[in-house]
Amino acid sequence: MLECKNIYYHVDKFILEDFSMKVENSQYVGLLGPSGSGKSVILEIIAGLRHQDSGQIFLGKDDLIDVSALPPQKRNCGYLFQDYALFPHKNVFENISYPLRYVKTPLEPLSESDKKELVYNISKSFNITDLLHRMPENLSGGEKQRVALARTLITKPDVLLLDEPLSALDAPLRKASLELFSSLAHDGLSIVHVTHDIEEINSVSDYIIQMTDR
Amino acid sequence: MKNRNRTSRLIFLFLSGIALLFIISPIISLYFSSSLDKIFESAADPEVSQSIITSLVIAAATTLIFAVFAIPLAYLLARHDFKGKNLLLGFIDLPIVLPHSAAGIAVLGLITRDSLLGRLADSIGLNLIGSPFAIGLAMAFVSLPFLINSAKDGFEAVPKRLEQSAATLGASPFQSFKTIALPLAKPSIISGLVLMFARGMSEFGAVIIVAYHPMTAPVLIFDRFNSFGLSYARPISIIFVSVCVLVFILLRLLGQKKTSRKN
Repeated sequence: MLECKNIYYHVDKFILEDFSMKVENSQYVGLLGPSGSGKSVILEIIAGLRHQDSGQIFLGKDDLIDVSALPPQKRNCGYLFQDYALFPHKNVFENISYPLRYVKTPLEPLSESDKKELVYNISKSFNITDLLHRMPENLSGGEKQRVALARTLITKPDVLLLDEPLSALDAPLRKASLELFSSLAHDGLSIVHVTHDIEEINSVSDYIIQMTDR
Repeated sequence: MKNRNRTSRLIFLFLSGIALLFIISPIISLYFSSSLDKIFESAADPEVSQSIITSLVIAAATTLIFAVFAIPLAYLLARHDFKGKNLLLGFIDLPIVLPHSAAGIAVLGLITRDSLLGRLADSIGLNLIGSPFAIGLAMAFVSLPFLINSAKDGFEAVPKRLEQSAATLGASPFQSFKTIALPLAKPSIISGLVLMFARGMSEFGAVIIVAYHPMTAPVLIFDRFNSFGLSYARPISIIFVSVCVLVFILLRLLGQKKTSRKN
């Protein structure tokens, strides 16, 4: 679940005024607007990559917790960047297992075999087990997206933020990706999908927020 | 059209050749200026070998010690914009444009008995002037900009997006620096370290102001030239240039090997 309350943010000539939004579990919300309207800025504020001037951000699976003052590494927010931001010096296995080194389990640290099992299981669900030893530069756009998703979801985030996730894909892959995102929402994940193309999210989103310039 | 392209290429080659000749010809003529006997005689001179070891060891130690401070500075400069940044960048480059004797005077002012550092050293019975510590400081002063600039370029080439991605995946700023920025900037950092080491090792003007002894190789070359003339300075020059070239090539090869192994 995610809730943004009365977010105010300004930098240079860009101003975000009184932005509020609530996304329940299994809800798929589209954030629509032209380039420069601040869609990605909202995602960055939710993830903690930018700090709002005022307003609050709440995240959580069952209960909402105020994460407004927390740094990004403590927010449990899944963020799929537009260019996927895979680490070029790490292979697919190392990319996917990267967040596991920072996971705080209640009992004891994850063992290496636990990590391997988690990586293998999530790779299987995204159909990328045969890519585990490849370097990101040798992956296609669709493969990069699936690897980035696996990496983002392996620690079960409270919300998945998608920043123009289909811009680098061709038409058949776009359809497959939308079906994948939709199934993730169906399984309980809250999703916020940023795009400038209404056709992209019309069929999958529960509601759409339209960003406008004033 | 084809003829015009050919003419342009020939002109470029001719001009490039003159530039290359200017660099290569003094070095080649140096190698032909002394007999093998004299070179081997110099190589066997313990003062010569000691001066080369002094240059190599102090330059290496200085580079490694100052890297601990220079690399974080380079990272901050690459990642943050602030008021006065350009002025600060200008200050960092200052040692490159200063006359080296003036650089030596500046460093000397830092370590004289009247200075804070000098008084501290004096209190524990040490004299910094004329010490390997002073030589290291002089070497560092003239060569640190090379490391800082190279490392800064390396960090700037790492997309900020990758560190932001690491942050959303649970990494703290230091963890993101250690696991993402540092490994990706490594080739530039290694390049900077090699340049800093090479520059420091060959420094003369600043070093001779702060410490005539223990003699580094460039100071010994000057000393022999001053005392006995060109024919006595040449063999040591040949030996030191050969050592410099060998060390430089070795470090470059090591740096490339690490990069290609990773790829």
